[in-house]
Amino acid sequence: MTDLARLDGTDRVLGIVRLALLVVVAAIQPALSLPVVDSTAGWAAFGALAGVTVTAACWVVRGRPVPLPVAVPLAVVVLAASTVATWEVPPDELFGGRHWSFGLAGWHLLVLLVDRAALAATALGALVVLTLARVATTAPTDRGEIGRVAIVVLSVISFQLATLALTRLVHRRARQAAEAAAERDRQAQRKALAEQQEADQRIRFAGQLGATLPLLAAMADRTLDPRDDTTRQRCVLAATQLRRLFAENDDVPDPLVHEVSACVDLAERRGLTVALAVSGEPTPVPTEVRRELTAPLVTALVAARTQARVSVLRTGEEVRVAVITDGEPGEAPASSPRVGVECHTLGARLWMEAKWRSEPS
Amino acid sequence: MAFGTELTAVVIDDHPAVRAGVVHWLSSGSPPIKVLAEGEDVRVAWIGDGARADVVILDLHLNSTTPAMGDLRRLTEAGRRVVVYSMRADDDIALQCLELGALCYLTKAEGDEHLVEAVRAAGGDRAYTPPSLAGALAGDRSERRPALSARETEVLIEWFQSESKEFVAHRLGISPNTVNSHLERIRIKYAQIGREAPTKAALVARAIQDGLIGVSDL
Repeated sequence: MTDLARLDGTDRVLGIVRLALLVVVAAIQPALSLPVVDSTAGWAAFGALAGVTVTAACWVVRGRPVPLPVAVPLAVVVLAASTVATWEVPPDELFGGRHWSFGLAGWHLLVLLVDRAALAATALGALVVLTLARVATTAPTDRGEIGRVAIVVLSVISFQLATLALTRLVHRRARQAAEAAAERDRQAQRKALAEQQEADQRIRFAGQLGATLPLLAAMADRTLDPRDDTTRQRCVLAATQLRRLFAENDDVPDPLVHEVSACVDLAERRGLTVALAVSGEPTPVPTEVRRELTAPLVTALVAARTQARVSVLRTGEEVRVAVITDGEPGEAPASSPRVGVECHTLGARLWMEAKWRSEPS
Repeated sequence: MAFGTELTAVVIDDHPAVRAGVVHWLSSGSPPIKVLAEGEDVRVAWIGDGARADVVILDLHLNSTTPAMGDLRRLTEAGRRVVVYSMRADDDIALQCLELGALCYLTKAEGDEHLVEAVRAAGGDRAYTPPSLAGALAGDRSERRPALSARETEVLIEWFQSESKEFVAHRLGISPNTVNSHLERIRIKYAQIGREAPTKAALVARAIQDGLIGVSDL
């Protein structure tokens, strides 16, 4: 799962909450408030709140939060409408059946600001303060009256605050769950990739064994005689190729020189005197290219009789692997579009070079 | 070295076997090179008979893990002709030694032919470029490296790869003498970018005298 998709997942939770709040507002406003609105100012406040609901719906039904530049003015409208409606209610009816705006306006604020917990809490606080201001102006003296107001305000506002808090909690948990799921996905992906690579490597390895398997098969079938020089030469070739192939999979800082050294090592074990010279800074060389660079070296070393000089040169633009031996010029590996192979003889000496341009000039 | 007199050398190496080998190689050449002194410490090049030797053969690691670059600098600044003979085959060290004024950098993997030739060349204020050094010069990617011509680079690469000047000459369709003069010109170019050292001045003067470079090339 990508990060974008994960965010979509958690945003969907918030989208559902917003939609639910919108439905609540759209349902309770006409159902509970409509019958008790009486004054002109009350109707204006009712209309303003209905307008806020409709405006907010433009975003909410599409699963998006109301943008901040829209939500803040709308919240102000809600607070204003609520204040107007509150002032229209006779003092003895405050928080009673005719005080329709108090329970309602808080839900409007939540629809607008549920994505911004701090702003939502502030707006709800402002709503309570504005409403209580009306209570203060009527200066109730009855203790029972004050207690009743407090209970109503607390029950309404705490319900709305609890909704807000729960929404944030669910949102956070959803995000954590999504992140955990994404991490699990990533791990699964890495594992699958590693398995694929291993499988690929096995296949490649089998492909590289090409020269060895027919040789072994032919010797097992006795169609090849191990005493024969040609057979021995083929064995040397297979052994060198294998040795190089093993080196290819080693984790070393300079793989090219490591592979070249592996070939040299085998030639030395056969009793050849081999000088290896390396110059220039190590350059990253792709595995395929390394294979092509060392192929002429393997051929030349197998053909060498007593001595060889092997050189690896890295300049800024190119990598060259060259070998000079006292062997017979065998069949040199062909050049490829990437690696140019040159072969040259002078007297009893055979010179072979594989060259790779690391940077197009 | 005055004309007709024997070329002399001093050998500094902390391994007695190496010293013995070098002395043998030098003295069995034709004409032989006389070793005036040998020792495990650079002092033999400063005091006694060694102070008079034409060429100093210096091992870079003398009973220490850090290369004796300071000793090399002091010797070249005093106008001594130094051939560095080292175990180390890394390019950086080789290039540093050239910059400090060594006339040749040889690795111990390279044989007597190269050493004797390097000492002879140094005796005549000439630089000698063995194949491994040619590789270091060809692979040199440092910012200060001199601009080499395509042919000069080819000569370096072929010489590094083949270790045979005849082979290089044959491959490039030039004479072995031309191979040598290319190698010498390359070394003059390197000498010019290096720090001031009397041996370098002598090297450049020699190159002008031999007609390898003109004064206008400087």
